[in-house]
Amino acid sequence: MTIGRTKTKEEVIEALHSVAAEMHDKMMKGNPPSMTLPVRTKTNITFDNKLQVYKYGKKKSTRDATALGSARVLLRSLHITEFIQQMIESGKSSTLREMYYISEGWGNGKFSTQNESNNLAEDLEIVTKCIREDFKLRPEEDGARIIGNVTFEEKNRKGEWMRINCRDDVGDSGYGVPYNVEAEKLRLIDQDIDFVMAVETGGMFDRLVENGFDEEARCALIHLKGQPARSTRRIMKRMSDEWKKPILVFADCDPWSFRIFASIAYGAIKTAHISEYLATSEATYLGITADDILAYDLPSDDLTKSDIGALQSELSDPRFSTGWWKEQINLMQEIGKKAEQQSLAKYGLDFVTDTYLPEKLGVLGLNY
Amino acid sequence: MSNAEEISSKQKQIAVSEFFEKNKHFLGFDSLQRSIITAVKESVDNSLDACEEARILPTIHVELNRQKGDTIELITQDNGPGIPRNSIEDVFGKFLLGSRFHAIRQTRGQQGIGITGVVMYSQLTTGSKTNVISKIKKESSAVFVELGLDTRKNRALKTSENRDVWIDKRTGEEIEQGLGIKTVMKGKYQKGKQSVYQYLRMTSIVNPHASISLIVRDKDRNIIDEGNWIRTSERLPRIVSEIKPHPHGIHLGTLQRMLRESEERKMTSFLRHNFSGVSMRAAREILSKAKIDESRGPRRIKAEDAQEILLAFQQVKLLSPPMDCLSPIDDLLIKKGLSKAIDSRFASTVTRVPSVSQGNPFQVEVGLVFGGDLSADGPIEVLRFANRVPLMYQQGGCLLTKALESIDWKRYGLDHPAGRGVPKGPAALLIHLASTNVQFTSEAKEAVAENEEVYEEIRKALLEVGRGLKNYLKKSSQRKKAQEKFELVNIILPEISRKSSEILSRDEPDLAPVITKIMNAVFCEEKLDWDKERQTATCSIKIYNYTARARAYTILVKWPENTTISIVDNERGGRKETRGIWAWRLDALNPGTCTTIEFGVSGLVKGEWTDTDVFFRGNGDIIGASKIDETLLNEIRKSEALDAAESEILNESGSLEPLIDRAETNEVESLQKIIPKTNNEQLSLSEWEVE
Repeated sequence: MTIGRTKTKEEVIEALHSVAAEMHDKMMKGNPPSMTLPVRTKTNITFDNKLQVYKYGKKKSTRDATALGSARVLLRSLHITEFIQQMIESGKSSTLREMYYISEGWGNGKFSTQNESNNLAEDLEIVTKCIREDFKLRPEEDGARIIGNVTFEEKNRKGEWMRINCRDDVGDSGYGVPYNVEAEKLRLIDQDIDFVMAVETGGMFDRLVENGFDEEARCALIHLKGQPARSTRRIMKRMSDEWKKPILVFADCDPWSFRIFASIAYGAIKTAHISEYLATSEATYLGITADDILAYDLPSDDLTKSDIGALQSELSDPRFSTGWWKEQINLMQEIGKKAEQQSLAKYGLDFVTDTYLPEKLGVLGLNY
Repeated sequence: MSNAEEISSKQKQIAVSEFFEKNKHFLGFDSLQRSIITAVKESVDNSLDACEEARILPTIHVELNRQKGDTIELITQDNGPGIPRNSIEDVFGKFLLGSRFHAIRQTRGQQGIGITGVVMYSQLTTGSKTNVISKIKKESSAVFVELGLDTRKNRALKTSENRDVWIDKRTGEEIEQGLGIKTVMKGKYQKGKQSVYQYLRMTSIVNPHASISLIVRDKDRNIIDEGNWIRTSERLPRIVSEIKPHPHGIHLGTLQRMLRESEERKMTSFLRHNFSGVSMRAAREILSKAKIDESRGPRRIKAEDAQEILLAFQQVKLLSPPMDCLSPIDDLLIKKGLSKAIDSRFASTVTRVPSVSQGNPFQVEVGLVFGGDLSADGPIEVLRFANRVPLMYQQGGCLLTKALESIDWKRYGLDHPAGRGVPKGPAALLIHLASTNVQFTSEAKEAVAENEEVYEEIRKALLEVGRGLKNYLKKSSQRKKAQEKFELVNIILPEISRKSSEILSRDEPDLAPVITKIMNAVFCEEKLDWDKERQTATCSIKIYNYTARARAYTILVKWPENTTISIVDNERGGRKETRGIWAWRLDALNPGTCTTIEFGVSGLVKGEWTDTDVFFRGNGDIIGASKIDETLLNEIRKSEALDAAESEILNESGSLEPLIDRAETNEVESLQKIIPKTNNEQLSLSEWEVE
């Protein structure tokens, strides 16, 4: 698979046909039809040294038509194949939700929940080594917002390229990242920044914008909106690759935020088939760390049972197997606390931009 | 002097009203909500008992009309025999604390203070008189009486009386016979688990021969609650006979009184004529053990001797007391009663054979319904009954509940968190204890007291319905799995084949070998139906061979064989394997084919046969049937042959029936032993799933 290169229509259709062919071949030999997939759990992701990201390992699972449930999934994937083929041929695209509703007309092949259709679209990506943009399928999840002195060109609905500077041409909510950020849709034109900072919560993003942090620290700010959408992760990856700028992640100090970082830096388990295309292995976790809770005496909450469970599970996650993460996770369990980004407001609204971030960035050699 | 007389004479020394006031908590009049339930209960129990004795199918109507404040007008009406004019004052005015102290047989009336309590309560709380209308069939008019109580003299005070035609207000028709009561008392109507509605609903379940209706109105005469439970059976409970006490249940005081009052001249005849279960041989043995001369007169037995007799009672082998003093509801009627009140998918009932505890005959019945409209969250509904009377309070402290809680319900398919308390799930469980002497934890008579033998009997009955439930759940899950497989190979697989061929523009594959690979099993589906026109139960068994090889089996089916029940419309013939099991030898069943066995069973009533078991003999498993256990089959054959021989001998002496009864009990038990065998079936199913 060539990363970042959009496949031709013919290549996509051929890849999809191979799924149908596996089923057909099996039946011709008198066997139940089947579909072979990599196992998608944390036990089957391994670090790819060449790509510097986590990818699915060798474990395969076979979904075959010996049970009603899996037989239905096979039938659905054939319906999807047919649907995608039609879209490719007629130059249309649809959202995952639209496809879910369209499946109403598929009789026994219809989906019972949207989760089912989303998962199956993902399955097909993995099996065909295509990405959903190839399938003309869009997510509803909206991408991130960006503010800072960077310039993109985006192809608008009229097919014209539009130049947008994310500091001068946008309002306070910043530039909205579209679902497709591939070269056919978005170009990275120019920048005058030292680094990119991804911020987990909207409250903190707005605080940094209001305090003029992007100009003061010469950075681009990205609002992640929780677990970042694919396009968010993809645009960060491109900014890192094409502009060679450091990517820093500023999140809450809790186990779920650690996972956000892991999906940015090492790849998400669900999308490990395209990790090399989505994950920015150079990304750095800036804070808030467990150390910070102690060092800055931040207001904190007790870890809940599910927090502790998540931390335990992270200890067995290969993505957190480095010494630094183990230390942080263990320390967090030891103090039994977690803290939000906004707890920094304990020392005033400007504390984060005047004291906390400069100190943290200083450690990384990013002085301003 | 009898016990009752002793008690009532003592009571006469204090004012009856004072006694009532002091003891109203155990008389059932302790709260406003409960008082109204108790009042309805006293009246309805009387109606049911009276109708039963007069062999009339009861139709009972209850009306509660709220008046100002916390007062309620109670109206009840039945179609019973009525009360003769001269007895009305006794029935409504004598305070007897359970009027049937003497009779050793199963009655409802044992459990209450009697209708007099209602008259008393009304008078004490609102000062109102009680109106009684009684119509006896052979009299031309009804008698209308208004009465109160003289609380010092413990008797009724009639305040007015006249005779007139009694017209039913609801239908406008003249009433031919029956009893009507109207009174006003303090009380509060409340809906829920402890309500008049629930009491009547439960009563209708265990009295499927009764039609009961209820109307509750508020102050403005708007109907706020109503119920109508129509009879589902035309069969009256059989008349129970009174029996003499059994030596195992007798106390010293009673024995001494019996000795004192005896007219017998010799001790042997005293023992034989005053007790049940004592033969001449036993009487002699008792007396020799007690070192008492056989010819001694009963009146000359001293306290120490009576004590010796009591000891000897426990050492000598005695016959059990006769059981016809009990009136069980019967399996089918419980099923009908439950389905009248609860809409469910599955019903299993068990009536245990009668047993004896401390000389008191008792019998346990259990019914379990599952699924349907029943709520799946929260504990199952527990319906407790003693002698057909609902027990509505003190569930936790009741022996029936304790026995229920002691079962590991998880094993039988109900959710039972930590194995404690009442299990959870969409089920209702009925437990009925019929006994000549139900022992309660207190005078409130709401919770059955500890008793090892009763406890064990209830447990056995519960385990039996539990096994039925487990069997049903297993079967329905197997059925569901089989249906899924059928859907898979008949609908989804052909579509996968069509669609993939279409997409690839290739030819469609031959699916037969694929189907065989997916199913790789023989399936059996049985269906029981009721043919209304021909009044027969029909059974259809379908066998599908989805394996790669031809299969040959003998199929065996359990059916309710009996002298009056027979197999009809059985085109395939087959043969009788043993009592209750019919067998058909099938021709080889080729891969991918299906065959059906159909037959009818006549001599049953609807709902009597709703569930069966299918067994097979032959190689390779059948999903939905179990391999027949040949050793158990042999046991059944042996016991059948033995019974046949025995009954031939006894035919001459004429007492055939008890033996047949016993033989059938044996058979049922050995058949039940086969059922656990079906576990193998489950095992093979899971193996099959793994493939």
